[in-house]
Amino acid sequence: MAKPTVILVGADKGGVGKTTVARTLLDYFGAHQTPTRAFDTESPRGTLKRFHPDVTEVVDMTEVADQMKIFDTLGSADARVTVIDVRAGLLSPTLQALSDIGFLESAKKGQITFAVFHILGPSIASLNEIAETSRFVGDANYFLVKNRINDTTFFEWDPKTYNSYFKQIKGASEISIPKLNEMACEQVEVASQPFVSFIANKDTKGQTANYSFVLRGYVRHWLGNVWSEYDRVKLIDLVAPKVEKVENVRQQAAG
Amino acid sequence: MSFRHSVTIVASPRSRVGKTLLSRLLTDFHAQEGREVAAFDLNSGGGTLAAFAPEKTTVSEIADIKGQIALFDRLIADDGVTKVVDLGHESFAGFFALAAQIGFVEEAHRRAIAPAILFVITPDATAVEAYRGLRARFPQAVLAPLHNEIFGTAQHRDKYDLAGHGALLTHLPLLAPGVRKYIETPPFSFSDAALASSRIPLEVQVELQRWLRRVWREFRELDLRILLADLQSSIGLGT
Repeated sequence: MAKPTVILVGADKGGVGKTTVARTLLDYFGAHQTPTRAFDTESPRGTLKRFHPDVTEVVDMTEVADQMKIFDTLGSADARVTVIDVRAGLLSPTLQALSDIGFLESAKKGQITFAVFHILGPSIASLNEIAETSRFVGDANYFLVKNRINDTTFFEWDPKTYNSYFKQIKGASEISIPKLNEMACEQVEVASQPFVSFIANKDTKGQTANYSFVLRGYVRHWLGNVWSEYDRVKLIDLVAPKVEKVENVRQQAAG
Repeated sequence: MSFRHSVTIVASPRSRVGKTLLSRLLTDFHAQEGREVAAFDLNSGGGTLAAFAPEKTTVSEIADIKGQIALFDRLIADDGVTKVVDLGHESFAGFFALAAQIGFVEEAHRRAIAPAILFVITPDATAVEAYRGLRARFPQAVLAPLHNEIFGTAQHRDKYDLAGHGALLTHLPLLAPGVRKYIETPPFSFSDAALASSRIPLEVQVELQRWLRRVWREFRELDLRILLADLQSSIGLGT
């Protein structure tokens, strides 16, 4: 039985692109045929659910019942990967809750693979968030995501300052999300489709749509660059370690 | 696939090598062959092709996203219309960078549209390097080198790697100097009907028709090369 993976996507600040990153992750795992489910904590209405309705459930992370819905089903769910899009301001409280219920301890023991995608915002407050978050993540796979999708001019922090925060976390990796053309970004929003469906020119019913070829090209190029970043940090190996992959190949070969 | 559904980009990183004349000729050639044709003028400062063939030409630009959509979405439309792009030298780098980024050639193939680049060869290193770059970037497109005979014999052809899809040298024959002035006042069409009704002196018309016959022959050979390249790739023979 494969070890379940939980990926927390969050930031304490709003509007930094948490849901966008969560969407690229769902597309990425989909492209790698990795069964994935998602939880959108923007209760009662979730943006992530709008784009990936088939695999997403809206939950309230402050409710114990919903916490149970996520974490008590990790071993039994068909999905191998659970992506949680954490609402703005709830990253630290969520990590605290995970610590309280013993989830982080389980991750530490290797029973669960746990990763945090911490989306950084433009202000120095984001750097302070790193310090706050690092208290919890410990041995988790911690990814600091610089989201440039809207070409914000914020990543001009003094390198010394940034490194002083970055180096607080052993094994933290940096991921850079490149800029996407504004109109292309806007059209995907309007289409309410996963990025891969927009690129394939498919509407919500799976029928051929009439999206601009140029905009689809921009999105394809951008998503390819985002996925290159995930490849670079070996994200798929994290979810499906090589040993398991070899076993799968052997099983398949055995028929 | 046939050349009827093609997008031909007339290109060179150099100015004043005859791209607009070629685009005018290609546009009229397709029309003469009974094809519905649309031309796109990507020259800055006045839109010369648009001045010569206003009814068939759209003035385009790719500096912003709206212009890019207006141009490329039309080029890729599966509407059976043959398209000719007069790519001004200022737009050369930007056009091909964008085409590579958005996967223009691949999408064209998916839609059974033959993308061809008619590249005017010149002896300078910039053009030679640009040609090599296009070959490497767009291996699926027909890259057809063309020599404009107004520049003398093509002694620089050895600088170009003439291999692959459609890469035999196409020629734009030299037009007698006395005739040239008659074709350079816009609007102007090389169609039989337009020439017959023009006020060009008879002896000039005869010379012009003789030149056009050579031009059309070159274009027909280019047609066949593109068709052959398409057939080869469709049955997996490559180049």
